[in-house]
Amino acid sequence: MKKLWHIAREVWQLAPAFRLSLLYLILLAVVALALPWLPLAYGPNELDLEQIYQAPLAWGNETYKPRHWLGTDSLGRDVLANVLYGVRTAFAISLPVMVMASLIGLTLGAIAGLFGNRRLRLSRSLLTALLFALLPFTYYGIYLPIMLYSQGATYSDFLLTGTVAIGLTFVFVIVLAPLFSRIPFLSRTIHFPTDELLLRIIEVQTSIPRLILILVLAAIVPPTLPALSVLLVLTFWTGTARLTRAEMLRIRELPFFEAATSLGFTQKRLLVRQALPLLLGPVLVAFSFGLAGLLMLESTLSFLNIGVSTDLVSWGRMIAGIRTNTSAWWLVAIPGAMLSLTVLALQTFSYYLLRFLQHKK
Amino acid sequence: MATFVFRRLLLAIPTLWFIASVIFLLSKLMPGAFGSSSLGQQEAGYYSRSDAASREHNYRQFLEATGQDLPLFYFSITSAALPDTLHRIFPERDRTFLKKLSWQYGNPMAATHFFRSLKEFEKVLSETERLQVQQHLFSIYSHQEHAELRQALSGIAQQLPARSAITSELIVKGDNLLTDSSSYTYLLPSLQWHGSQNQYHRWIAGLLKGSLGTSLRDGRPVTTVLGEAVGNTWWLLLASIVVAALLALEMAILMIRRSGRIWRSTLLPSLFLLDSVPLFVLAMLLLVLLASPAFLQLFPVYGMGYYSVSDQNWLQQMGQWLQFMALPMLCLVLANLPYLTNQFYQAMAGVAGQDYIRTARAKGLSEHRVIRRHMLRNALLPVITLLSDYLPALVAGAVIVETIFAIPGVGRLLVETVLARDYPVIVGIVVIAAVFRLISHLMSDLLYALADPRIRAHAS
Repeated sequence: MKKLWHIAREVWQLAPAFRLSLLYLILLAVVALALPWLPLAYGPNELDLEQIYQAPLAWGNETYKPRHWLGTDSLGRDVLANVLYGVRTAFAISLPVMVMASLIGLTLGAIAGLFGNRRLRLSRSLLTALLFALLPFTYYGIYLPIMLYSQGATYSDFLLTGTVAIGLTFVFVIVLAPLFSRIPFLSRTIHFPTDELLLRIIEVQTSIPRLILILVLAAIVPPTLPALSVLLVLTFWTGTARLTRAEMLRIRELPFFEAATSLGFTQKRLLVRQALPLLLGPVLVAFSFGLAGLLMLESTLSFLNIGVSTDLVSWGRMIAGIRTNTSAWWLVAIPGAMLSLTVLALQTFSYYLLRFLQHKK
Repeated sequence: MATFVFRRLLLAIPTLWFIASVIFLLSKLMPGAFGSSSLGQQEAGYYSRSDAASREHNYRQFLEATGQDLPLFYFSITSAALPDTLHRIFPERDRTFLKKLSWQYGNPMAATHFFRSLKEFEKVLSETERLQVQQHLFSIYSHQEHAELRQALSGIAQQLPARSAITSELIVKGDNLLTDSSSYTYLLPSLQWHGSQNQYHRWIAGLLKGSLGTSLRDGRPVTTVLGEAVGNTWWLLLASIVVAALLALEMAILMIRRSGRIWRSTLLPSLFLLDSVPLFVLAMLLLVLLASPAFLQLFPVYGMGYYSVSDQNWLQQMGQWLQFMALPMLCLVLANLPYLTNQFYQAMAGVAGQDYIRTARAKGLSEHRVIRRHMLRNALLPVITLLSDYLPALVAGAVIVETIFAIPGVGRLLVETVLARDYPVIVGIVVIAAVFRLISHLMSDLLYALADPRIRAHAS
């Protein structure tokens, strides 16, 4: 933590562009948090059908209503309110998604990098037992809860299947593993290809362009915010995982890490105490780059009106409004500028961070 | 070289199969087949109310024709509390009801019997009789507690004493259901074997024969629908990547020159700026500025033209095509320029410091010759991989651009089918995208081998 603060202070003195972008991001955060107390005349979803397609700063409106400072869209929704509430939506979706994706990517990438293809030795009997135990776990731990949920079961039912799921999995492993180890073929230990497994999963997932994958999956799941977030997490963890794996492979060869290994530290301690502090920098860079990408993707999806409901206030929705009236330039200029500026700020931020980290190396 | 390509193809097939299967199975797991809302609707308007039976018949026929009444996979593991013939029950509403019933009472046999006799009972009712017992029927369909079912059944018996035969049947089945219920049946799994008569088998067999099924929207083969769309997207992508790559190359050369300081200090920041504008914002901005009557109207706005004259020669056809494609291409080029230029520049800057470049300069070669003849060849090697990796990412851009400019290509098709939930076409597009990726990988390997003799020697 102290080190992070130190890095932040050093980068702060580095470049004015960095300072500017950081200030902008902080300002956005403050606005997003302080929205309920701001004196906005209109809500973001409030219709004002008397004043549709108002240009920004249009003077001479004789109406008794408060003015729309940045104009209105086809249904008379206030652009200013939408843009400001759009900040909230954008970060409310992309921040948690990116945090989850980074955590998953960091964990999987670090494990794959640390163990590689040859360092994790498991007996075949245990692996087979685990595979068998996957069956009751999927049935009682995933299928039944989903069914129970859809049929509206009580709390005790969930508790019951949960207990059965965990209990049966343990029983399977404990009973089957010694049984299998009697068989000569299964009793041998093998290298578990952790790294290979991760790379294969990433390869399969990235063989479809991300936007297409998300569009296709959005056709399958119901258009709700949690479902979309899960989809985004599932498609965004690969970048961080790849980066973490590469960094971990590099760290593993460093002299201090070898020293720590030869001191006989446990793998967990190696991972958490020795490798993690060095991994945090690159992951932070990947985080802010990914956040920028996620902001773009989220607004693209709401622009295409796929995967989100239409009452979700968002920059993309506002920009989509121009498709019915191409002379309403403010509908694309204002939210588009906000979106681009935010992405620019995030990219500048991560660019300087990256440069600083490379410079220090 | 041939063996290398062959191996590569062989390795890609499992990935392709896996992805296509997952998307197919996922799309089938969702409740609500296409058309269930329009064809199977029972709460239709005033006029069509009378032929609800014929609607149901039509719907069943539609499902049989499209093979949607078959089980999904070779086997299924479901809870023992659910009847095995659930996939044969249509419409969707009845299926949900039977599922709920047998889940609630934990006895699929009794639930199915009760369900059948309920359906029989409803079939023989006349309109007035139906009105009499409507309330009880409603409470049967929506009841939560066992007592409610019992009450509704006895209510029906009291209301319709004339139809004692069919009513008593219903009540007997209902009593069976009530007495034989057990609450923990759902914990037991039950395995059913369906054999090769299933939707997945049909689909994968069709895929091997090169057919992707038929579109649910208009009943045309998916391959035809895709074939119409692929051409437009392909030419759009190819033209824009060629233009973008050439432009990026020239800009990188401008910046790498010794006298290119001014270019470096202007181009790099502006490209950085351009990179942070999302593609759809860029496209909308260009549309508003260059193709709307409020500002400059230089280009046609939407589509590919309403008519095509057949007696045009190819030059005129090309001219018309360009007229409509100019703005979309401009969008894609602008959106991809920053990344490509940056990569080209980095690659060339990496080469610029090497000894042989210094030698070439020392020989007194002109700057032009040094860059074009010596630097470029070696710098472009890694860029080949990059370009082929980048092609699939362009497909995502095509989705946005085609939707905005209404070009009838694959991207627009994807958005339309996603909104209509036309799953066969969606799965087809996924297969196409994965194949496209595969081909671009193969192409990059081949090009790499062509450019670098060492790899050729290694591979063979």
